[in-house]
Amino acid sequence: MTLDRGEMIEQESVLGHDPSLEDQPEAAKEIAGKSPTQIALSRLRKDKVATLCIAVIVLLVLVAVLAPVITRIFGVYWNVSDPKAPNTTDVLAFDGYPKVGPPFNSFTWDHPLGVAPRLGYDNLAYLVYGLRTSLIVCVAATVISTIIGVVLGLMAGFSRGWVDRVISFITDLLLAFPFLLAMLALSPIITSRFSTDQDKLRIATITSLITILIIFGWMGLARLIRGQVLSLREREFILAAEVIGVPTRQILFKELLPNLIAPIVISISLGLPGFVAAEAGLSFLGLGISGYPSLGKMVSDAAPYYADYGLYLWLPVGAIALLTLSLNLLGDSVRDAFDPRTRR
Amino acid sequence: MRLKRSAVALATASMLVLAACGGDGDGDDKKSSDNPSVDTENLGNTGSGTDPTREGPATIEGAKEGGTVTVLSSPGLTTPIDPSDLYYTDTNAILTSLVTRQLTQYAYDQESGQMILVPDLATDLGTPNDDFTEWKFTLRDGIKWETGAPVTADEVAFGIIRSMDGKTFPNGPGLYYSNPYFLGGEDYKGPYTAPDAEQQAVTVDGNTITVKMAKPFPDFPFYASFPAIGPIPTDPAVSDPAKYAQHPLSTGPYKIEQYTIGKTLTLVRNDQWDPNTDPARTAYPDKYVFKVGLQSEQIDQILLADSGEAKTTLAYDDVLAQNYRKANETGRLVTGGQPCTYFYALDQRKVPDKSIAEALTWALPYNDQIVATGLIPDVNAVATQNLMPPGVPGREPYDPVEGHGPFQTDPEKAKQILADAGNEGYEIKFLYSTDSDVSVAGKDVLVKGLEAAGFKATPVATTLADSVSDRDDVNGDINMRSYGWCSDWPSGATWVPPIFQSTDLEEVGFGTNESAFNNPEIDQKIEDVSALPVDEQPAAWNDLEKEIMTTYLPVVPRYYGGVVQMHGSAIEGVVIDNTLGMPSFRDIWVNAG
Repeated sequence: MTLDRGEMIEQESVLGHDPSLEDQPEAAKEIAGKSPTQIALSRLRKDKVATLCIAVIVLLVLVAVLAPVITRIFGVYWNVSDPKAPNTTDVLAFDGYPKVGPPFNSFTWDHPLGVAPRLGYDNLAYLVYGLRTSLIVCVAATVISTIIGVVLGLMAGFSRGWVDRVISFITDLLLAFPFLLAMLALSPIITSRFSTDQDKLRIATITSLITILIIFGWMGLARLIRGQVLSLREREFILAAEVIGVPTRQILFKELLPNLIAPIVISISLGLPGFVAAEAGLSFLGLGISGYPSLGKMVSDAAPYYADYGLYLWLPVGAIALLTLSLNLLGDSVRDAFDPRTRR
Repeated sequence: MRLKRSAVALATASMLVLAACGGDGDGDDKKSSDNPSVDTENLGNTGSGTDPTREGPATIEGAKEGGTVTVLSSPGLTTPIDPSDLYYTDTNAILTSLVTRQLTQYAYDQESGQMILVPDLATDLGTPNDDFTEWKFTLRDGIKWETGAPVTADEVAFGIIRSMDGKTFPNGPGLYYSNPYFLGGEDYKGPYTAPDAEQQAVTVDGNTITVKMAKPFPDFPFYASFPAIGPIPTDPAVSDPAKYAQHPLSTGPYKIEQYTIGKTLTLVRNDQWDPNTDPARTAYPDKYVFKVGLQSEQIDQILLADSGEAKTTLAYDDVLAQNYRKANETGRLVTGGQPCTYFYALDQRKVPDKSIAEALTWALPYNDQIVATGLIPDVNAVATQNLMPPGVPGREPYDPVEGHGPFQTDPEKAKQILADAGNEGYEIKFLYSTDSDVSVAGKDVLVKGLEAAGFKATPVATTLADSVSDRDDVNGDINMRSYGWCSDWPSGATWVPPIFQSTDLEEVGFGTNESAFNNPEIDQKIEDVSALPVDEQPAAWNDLEKEIMTTYLPVVPRYYGGVVQMHGSAIEGVVIDNTLGMPSFRDIWVNAG
């Protein structure tokens, strides 16, 4: 339904360029066609929630990008192995609680958000670098899984026959496969494979995390796209294209894909917060990345100290909540904007 | 011996071992201002006294009968409780204090805070022959099983013989003591594995049990306090290993009412036990309920809240560092020693010379690592010097590295030592477990400490599941191994030979000599000390340890074990059995009003 209208509007816009109409500029402006994307964007601009969410996301991205600058300004370190970082017992008392800053001491600019009990890293530094990791993981996983989902969905929907059956089978298989189990099995394998080289191990864990998230993240979109393609490919403009001998690749990407922008954008906007949460969850369980700060890891570090040191837990929880909430709300707005049935 | 708690605790121990230990300088400045005051003198004491003439009944002044004691633990009770197969600290403390009786036992001495070896089923602590190759014990009268049947000398003998069956009881202490020391123990496979073979070690004459040794075993009375050296019913239908492991018969003050491995153990009174025959057990509470598998944080919160059933509850897990201040304020916190030393063993096949170990002694960030791994300096990680913890007879404190006080970190000095020896940037390779938060934290701190001291630190990743096998792989590409060793009884013989005697690396691996220290001269000296008269041995062991440590320094001690446990407000008499690092269940009573 959605796409039918979009198609019609596109046809209209083509008609809009009819030279016969050009000598009536006023009227032409009135009925000047807009592509569905343009309509959606103009709707988004008017949406206050969406604007706010975009502002928050831009801010968080800026903080993540500028993490090295921020930590340098404050002189704080997320890695206690850093030669310049203070010794653990310089900032921690005998029972692991910080000697400086919250919860038992007054605020200090040396550690604006406090020090992690027992571990001795600076909360601000860990938070901004953790945000960085979260964003890298979620953007990488979303982009790649979207590409895979779209390509496989298009192929499955358009090809008919065995290609469709094979792709659909793989999709169903992966949907049914227990994702947590794969992570549980993979994490010790990676550790033993890269055990001697710490840098390789760090990179290996983060790439494997992203890979796992991608492997288990494209199926939803692929199914959605396949369903849309199944209905679109019987439509006249596709049949016409086939008849006049347009190459399949061109049909897929030039004819079909533009009609699928809406579901893809919606899937991206809802996928991002999902991956942020997945990364945090896996790191909380100790299956995520090692050697990089992670918000999920910070939550699991902070949980035992909640009673006395609430701030420590609220920092990563707040960051994850802010990121996922703004991404989710933005996703909702994007869906509303792209859905022609919604009226404002 | 190994830290004998449970598999989970063992893993914990190996994690802890990755972290170094903390503390401060020497002497009076030992306690930094914010450190709690803990009696570190007695903390590590592991008991050395004996009292062969003590008689029952044991009583505590003012103690009341009755009540149910609930005992909580996070890991634990996952290991076998068949007496012959029992070799973990928690089950050992529970069974020997409450359920099973053996030839000897420990009693807590209020004055010294130490455990004293006293008789149990035997009338005294045994009579050796001149060269300690034969021990005679006389069984007391009036000892009964929970069924009411009398305990016979034949049943005690059968228990001792049964401990030699290493194949049926692979977890038990028999493999380390019964088979190597008992006459014919190396060849005799035990009553289940070799039912037709004849054993030569144990003979019975009336009420007297004689154990013959293949080599001198002066410490046998200490070994006789293990559940393995107690009676087992001779009726094969009763003592069948598979069945008996579910419900060992009681000879002590309590019997097993219900037992679910890894979950609960309920003990109720055994009315066949006669307090007059027992020099150490008091048995005031009516019932004990052990519950395991709770989260550590949950246990702490239950005990801190101290309401309802929690009042009569105690835990034998250490209180978490973050709850220590609050727990200490309640006045319901008990600290005690554990006869364990945690150390780094440097692979002597790879390390060029002693300067590495000396520099490492100065470089280790003792306090940082203790705090980062969730321990509390000078409470459950006590400052070290010697390998042997305080309380081992003959131990004299000395500094393995000249001028180095316990828990002293000085990267500049370490750098200087490395530079003088031409070993700047020497690469230290050590294991850590990526899936253990504690292990990773300890690694981070250690890397910083080593780098600051001019070493090159190369952590090698492993996982908890593989950490022990990776550490014990003799061909592994690491040169520093973290290890913890706990003695089974206070004697230099349980320290120097297991840690420093050479092993056949090809055939048996490190054994317990994790530094791969192989020195024929020292091996000979170990043999010589073992052959010395018993009263000269304690000092000789200490001298030998000092000689090895000052000449070769194969291991760098980090800290001694300690325990810090909380109990409810109605529980009285909680003291730490510092031979095990467990509460002394013999002395506990419930103060209902």
